[in-house]
Amino acid sequence: MRQYETAFLITPKLEEEETEKLIEKMAEVVKKKKGKMVNIEKWGKRRLAYPIDKLDEAVYVFFHYEGDPEIPHELQRRFRQTEAVIRYLTLKKETRIQPRKGTKSQKKEKMKKAEEKVEAVEKAKKEPQEEPQMEWNEAEKPETEKSTEEES
Amino acid sequence: MAREQRERSSYRRYFPPKRKYCRFCERNIKDIDYKNVDILKRYVPERGKIAPRRVTGTCSYHQRKLSTAIKRARLLALLPYIED
Repeated sequence: MRQYETAFLITPKLEEEETEKLIEKMAEVVKKKKGKMVNIEKWGKRRLAYPIDKLDEAVYVFFHYEGDPEIPHELQRRFRQTEAVIRYLTLKKETRIQPRKGTKSQKKEKMKKAEEKVEAVEKAKKEPQEEPQMEWNEAEKPETEKSTEEES
Repeated sequence: MAREQRERSSYRRYFPPKRKYCRFCERNIKDIDYKNVDILKRYVPERGKIAPRRVTGTCSYHQRKLSTAIKRARLLALLPYIED
């Protein structure tokens, strides 16, 4: 299951009933393909930033849904067939996937480094780098042992 | 002097010289939505071009997100490609 977001613009030439019908039609596609409609956003008529097909306005509709990749495919096919739809855009929403096994520790290290960087951005230049190294050596002896092993 | 500075860059009017910082990092925003036109508009001065990082002070991560968001908004005619 993936999360998608599909936006499309409908011509203002259609009457309100017809646009509602069109939106319902498209929403049914999601249902038929066993998708789950999360949310439908309707902005209504809105001025376009630039004319498309010599039109200055369009009806904005946004679908948020979950389901198989067939759904956006089918939706896009229908958009192309219906002339009332001027533009469409489908996005796969970014979901935070669990990090891979191998890279877990690496990612943690990266995160630590990034945090340190953010904190130290302003201070780093002023403070000499030798001091923290001295602390490291004293506090964590096993690390130094490891490093010597690698060297030998 | 003041005149010279004004003529040098049109971006200066939108982003007066101050200590720059990333406004998205400040608010802890991870994803920039293309539907949020009010925010995007601030980064598209006058000609409709995307404001460079050196002017706005946005961090590289958010500049990348911002530019894709603006481009998506352009596709749906929420923002202009060119403006004169």
